[in-house]
Amino acid sequence: MTSFSSHYYDTSSTFHGFIPRIMGTRLDLIIVDYPKEQSEFVWNNIVLELERLHKMMNRFDPTSELSRINLKAKIDSVSVSQEMWEILLNCKHYYSITNKLFDITLYNLSEVIFDEKTKSISFPSKEYNFDLGGYAKGYAVEKIKRMLLEVNVKHALVNFGDSSIAALGHHPFGDCWSVSIENPFSKGDILKEIKLRNEDLSTSGNSPIHQRHIFNPITKIFNDQQKVVCVKSKSSIDAEVLTTTLMLATPKQKEQIHSNFKIYETITFNL
Amino acid sequence: MAKENKKQIDSSLRQFIKDVGYITGGGALLSSVPWLQSFTPDKLGEIKKEKARIALIGTGSRGQYHIHNLLEIGHAEIVALCDNYAPNLKEAHALYPKAKTYTDYKKLLASKDIDGVIIATPLNWHAPMVLDALAAGKHVFCEKSMALTMDECKAIYDAYQTTDKVLYFCMQRMFDEKYVKGIQMIHSGLIGDVVGARCHWFRNHNWRRPVPSPELERQINWRLYWESSAGLMTELASHQLEVCNWATKRVPRSVMGMGDIVFWKDGREVYDSVNLIYHYDNDVKITYESLISNRFNGMEDQILGHKGTMDLAKGIYYYEQEAPGTGIEQLLNQIGNKVFTSVPIAGPSWRPETRKAYESHHVMDGKFNINEGISMIGAEKDGSDHILSAFCQACITGEKAKNIVEEAYSATMLCLLGNQAMAEQRKIDFPDEYKIPYIKF
Repeated sequence: MTSFSSHYYDTSSTFHGFIPRIMGTRLDLIIVDYPKEQSEFVWNNIVLELERLHKMMNRFDPTSELSRINLKAKIDSVSVSQEMWEILLNCKHYYSITNKLFDITLYNLSEVIFDEKTKSISFPSKEYNFDLGGYAKGYAVEKIKRMLLEVNVKHALVNFGDSSIAALGHHPFGDCWSVSIENPFSKGDILKEIKLRNEDLSTSGNSPIHQRHIFNPITKIFNDQQKVVCVKSKSSIDAEVLTTTLMLATPKQKEQIHSNFKIYETITFNL
Repeated sequence: MAKENKKQIDSSLRQFIKDVGYITGGGALLSSVPWLQSFTPDKLGEIKKEKARIALIGTGSRGQYHIHNLLEIGHAEIVALCDNYAPNLKEAHALYPKAKTYTDYKKLLASKDIDGVIIATPLNWHAPMVLDALAAGKHVFCEKSMALTMDECKAIYDAYQTTDKVLYFCMQRMFDEKYVKGIQMIHSGLIGDVVGARCHWFRNHNWRRPVPSPELERQINWRLYWESSAGLMTELASHQLEVCNWATKRVPRSVMGMGDIVFWKDGREVYDSVNLIYHYDNDVKITYESLISNRFNGMEDQILGHKGTMDLAKGIYYYEQEAPGTGIEQLLNQIGNKVFTSVPIAGPSWRPETRKAYESHHVMDGKFNINEGISMIGAEKDGSDHILSAFCQACITGEKAKNIVEEAYSATMLCLLGNQAMAEQRKIDFPDEYKIPYIKF
């Protein structure tokens, strides 16, 4: 059972929904200029959807579909749901357009057998696992955006663990949503302000506490550079995939990868 | 090289106090860590050119650990070393050959060239040595715990009331930055009302040291025998019980528990397994456990609040319910006030994905040392260097530190009462005759 809370500020017609822990992080949703009851209704549906996605993609939950795949695909071919199939194919696509840097196996995705006929997966050896950590938040944010747009929400801000932000419309007293990126190595030091309007922002990087959490599947080395990469895009998934990838890419790889994506802005901060 | 090291440790202590002061503000600093008020950066500056003349009584592993720290303290000079066990004295002397050596501590105390003594001897020697040293007009820094018996503790406490000398006990958590900040956060209400405490210390080691000759067994393995040791309680639990009292600002009134020799049935007398419950008057309890034949659970000092949990040993806290980020709160306030500015909400994921239901928050930024609790001698940067530096400063200024003796007294009494409760297999109340004004149940 997911713990969550919500509040509607009548004076400013602003709704705030908050889930302290979902898909390994926290989620804040702000909806403005939208009625209270409808805000709560769409929020409840979003919570249910996120619970469903969490249940599907959580590698730490032994009953999740992803865990089932990780367990069984080592031994035999395992059939997957239609949605999971599409997710995995999409990850495979990203793998190919990121010069193999976005690899949900962190090993060698090209060795994983995808059987189109039976929509099943098998791993070549026991070392293989799927980890959707670098994809799931982007996917979930896309879902949230779609659910909000379906009920005609015009102005909203989705913040998924600070690293995945989606902006619909604009701030009630501005022409966009303006978010600042804080230097993780120097509290209070703002690296840049970024204006978002119907755009998404994803941020990746190391921090003093978590200095080595991005793994290069090609070199098999954790990235320990003091840097932050931000990507602004129309697609949360593109942004999510790219930030992690660009943390690892060499300058030459970056050029090639950029040409494969439709992105608005990429910023790298070497700290 | 040595010169550089000295500078490092001095500036480290200054920085530590400065950091704590910055975080807590003056008033709060005094209320959570009143013993630090004598050690402001300004006061450290005043003694810049002076050196405390320090003697060390007890040159075993812990004594040598102190020598290493002393060698890096700019305002300290080791002038004498004392031990009645020649191999240890020889090793210690090799670390600092300039020091004069003694085999009789009373002769050392007679020297006029000594300002302060460090006592790092078996527990049964603490009381006679502390009392003799104070009587000899020396400032004293003694290893924890305070003493082997309640009467001895009370005698030391009473002697301290009438002396103008400085007395420290090495309760190093009181000078460990992550503990200081964690406790300050508890006192500020971060984890809500304190509703419990869970402390444990697990190791998998027999606690024995090699004995070159059988007649030296009780001298070298003094920790294993009741005549010289109070076992796990005074060697390990004393630190942790002190932390609980510091966090709750109280002392438990009663204790019950069970102690046994579960695994190391090698002729030792003290328990190798203890489980106790201490009870405060407000019904909050400390659950304490120590076992030295399994190390899986390591060492933890957890203070439980109705809003969160502070794991002081790791410098981490957890909320029962995560709150929205401050950036989101700012944004909501802005909208409410019809203001539009940028809000700091974007950045690398605020925490990595983990399997844990509770997420950790660190009490300090950057890297800091965590004591895994495995070493029998002492961990690096666990506050022992800071408390020793503070003592050396006090040897120069003559300024007593607030509450250190009282905290050590209370914690040691709880250890000894715990042993009594386990030995007699009954609930023991804190005896009236050992109450001191500092103690609030």
